[in-house]
Amino acid sequence: MGLESPAWTAGVKRFSHEAMATVFEVQALHPDATYAAQAAHAAFDLVDRLERELTRFLPNSDVGRINALAAGQSTRVSPSTMDCLLVARQMYDVTGGAFDVSIGTGLPSLELAADESRVRASTGGVRIDLGGIGKGHAVDLMGELLEDWGIEAAVVHGGFSSVLALGAPAAQEGWPLTLSDPGPPIRVLVRLARRDTALGASGVRKGGHIVDPRTGKPAAGRRAAWAVLPRQAAHERSQAGCGGPRRAAAAAADALATAFMLMRLRDIGALCAASPGLEAWVLPEPARSGGPPEALHFGTPGSS
Amino acid sequence: MAGDDEKDKVAVPPRPAGGRKLDRRDVLKGLSTVPALGLFGYAWQKQRQYEQAAAGTEQAAAAGDVQDVHVALLGAGAQGQVLTDAMLRIPGVRFRAVCDVWAEYNQRRVVNQLQRFGFQVNAYEDYREMLDKEKELDAVVIATPDFWHAPHAVDCLKAGKHVYCEKEMSNTLEGARAMVAAARETGKLLQIGHQRRSNPRYLHCYRHLLGEAKLLGRIVTVSGQWNRAVTPDLGAPERYTIPEARLKQYGFKNMHQFRNWRWYKGLGGGPIVDLGSHQIDIYTWFLGANPSHVMASGGQLYYDPATHEWYDTAMVVFDYDTPAGPVKAYYQTQTTNGSLGYFENFMGDQGTLLISESEVHAAKVYRDTNAPPWDEWVQKGYITAPKLQEAVEKDKAAVTDVRESVSPDEHKVPIVLKDPYHQPHLQNFFDAVRGSATLNCPPEIGYESAVAVLKVNDAIEAKSRLSFTPEDFAL
Repeated sequence: MGLESPAWTAGVKRFSHEAMATVFEVQALHPDATYAAQAAHAAFDLVDRLERELTRFLPNSDVGRINALAAGQSTRVSPSTMDCLLVARQMYDVTGGAFDVSIGTGLPSLELAADESRVRASTGGVRIDLGGIGKGHAVDLMGELLEDWGIEAAVVHGGFSSVLALGAPAAQEGWPLTLSDPGPPIRVLVRLARRDTALGASGVRKGGHIVDPRTGKPAAGRRAAWAVLPRQAAHERSQAGCGGPRRAAAAAADALATAFMLMRLRDIGALCAASPGLEAWVLPEPARSGGPPEALHFGTPGSS
Repeated sequence: MAGDDEKDKVAVPPRPAGGRKLDRRDVLKGLSTVPALGLFGYAWQKQRQYEQAAAGTEQAAAAGDVQDVHVALLGAGAQGQVLTDAMLRIPGVRFRAVCDVWAEYNQRRVVNQLQRFGFQVNAYEDYREMLDKEKELDAVVIATPDFWHAPHAVDCLKAGKHVYCEKEMSNTLEGARAMVAAARETGKLLQIGHQRRSNPRYLHCYRHLLGEAKLLGRIVTVSGQWNRAVTPDLGAPERYTIPEARLKQYGFKNMHQFRNWRWYKGLGGGPIVDLGSHQIDIYTWFLGANPSHVMASGGQLYYDPATHEWYDTAMVVFDYDTPAGPVKAYYQTQTTNGSLGYFENFMGDQGTLLISESEVHAAKVYRDTNAPPWDEWVQKGYITAPKLQEAVEKDKAAVTDVRESVSPDEHKVPIVLKDPYHQPHLQNFFDAVRGSATLNCPPEIGYESAVAVLKVNDAIEAKSRLSFTPEDFAL
């Protein structure tokens, strides 16, 4: 079933780094290997810094302080943490609470004062865990850093579940990517060629670890879900006033993939229909009789 | 669109139990729980303004009665950004200017960050120009490469500014002495960035565990380390390369040296300064004495000596004559394997204190089995109770309950830093500027620390045991 590697892939340089309880990777096309390595390591330094801000295991991280807020208290967070929280809040709203970094403890009672980068708790007891969005957030910022370094064609991912395709290899439509049934048996479901696109994946291969924040019960009936979202290119982002999921495409895709494990299919379809360029794939658990299930596809590919 | 026949398997009726309130939309059965608005219909800027309005009032009240301090950042690299991040959390800090020779990158990044917090700062490449033009400045926070600390700090003090200067105070003792002299001459404050001196965990251990309770008995030995994994040399985005003439003007041969100055003699002070300085300062502080002797072995074991002029590995033994008796203190730093990270371990005849700035180790104390009981200190809340060992109800008639072996007593130190690591030390500095505190690390203490640390480089060079005299530490 495996295809031959095309010749251009020989020029792809790969660098990896452990962070956020997974492995991040940069695959870059650049003629200078040393320069590509320095750029990748600058991106990894950034991930380490983000992890210190976003981890819930350090009492003096941004999330550690948010989780200790009593009613009426507020704390200042880094601008990038604030961006991540704003995207998390938007994903909560557009998914009807299916994506909820507070896991049902009351996300709306965290007020986000973006221009001061301040988080205020209107009630106590809200506990957030950015595990479902932090990797995508990091991948977004790594992508911006690599663009700043002049790396124009690269794939960046955090543990394979948050992927950003930057540019595309020369003479290629996009970076070749696959979406696979986690199995067993593992099999390729979808082949994509995408440029300037973020992809998020969620599944239950690691054990039934997705809990529906709306009910407190584990997700059931689905084996995996993917969200694919075009990303704003650097020159578009430089214009004033842009933000949100077109900029934070990997964070949004990371969050939506989790939500797509839980949302009703008609709701997923409606969200894709109302969001040009947003696509979803949902892989149901196999039926008791019959062959292996096919992934259900929603939305149409598009550019930002 | 595919698959609506699958919906019943996965549709979850909304329930109030999850913590999210049911709204009218949820109750109308069969309607979508997802807003009709798509992902991009969400008004992003509006959302930000709306959220902003919700929390605006409280901030104004919080900052109300704090005296403003007008601040410039001199040196906007990695450490300057860490300090900026911490300062942004301190009420009353008003940023006015940012100075960095890398105008194309680091300077721009910090200026942009400060703008996001509403500070319209002026940006400078030349610190002299900044001192000439920024007449309203109260204080300058310096995070430049070590060889610039002395000229920067001295000129800022002489321009009438209070100064917070990153450690190492200077890469030379002449530089460090000039800084002390300038602070004394101008009467301005100079805080050196040994930030553990303001860390509540360290202060608690120093004042209460060692000072008041004397938990460790007589401290005889100390060990500590900062181990760091291999890191590749730092690069820079090509499009932001600094022109050669500007690099030379500021003392760098090329972009590589500019980015990796810590590895170059004459610019940085080597790993013992970059990593060891913080912790050797703690040895001296906790032991209450300066060292009397030092022996050290260091070498270029791993990296290319052409681009890494300093040793990459050092092992050091200090002797101290403390008021309580002689102490030997070991310290190692290596840059090829990060095993166990960084910590300081103080060992006395009645107990051990393992302490670190890092949460990996935090702070723990271990009681020697023959030491007097620590119940009083547990009751006072200075340390936590040990892991429960008397889980089995005692039978008064028996002397021993025979069971699975237990671990020795481990007590945690219940002091948690909730702020960024540098924030308390910066807060102490700004409080001192406002006249409501005294500095936790004035230049005299920074100088003593520099004397002890820089001598390690001499000992590595000399390959022999060197002694300190009281005059070495005198100013």
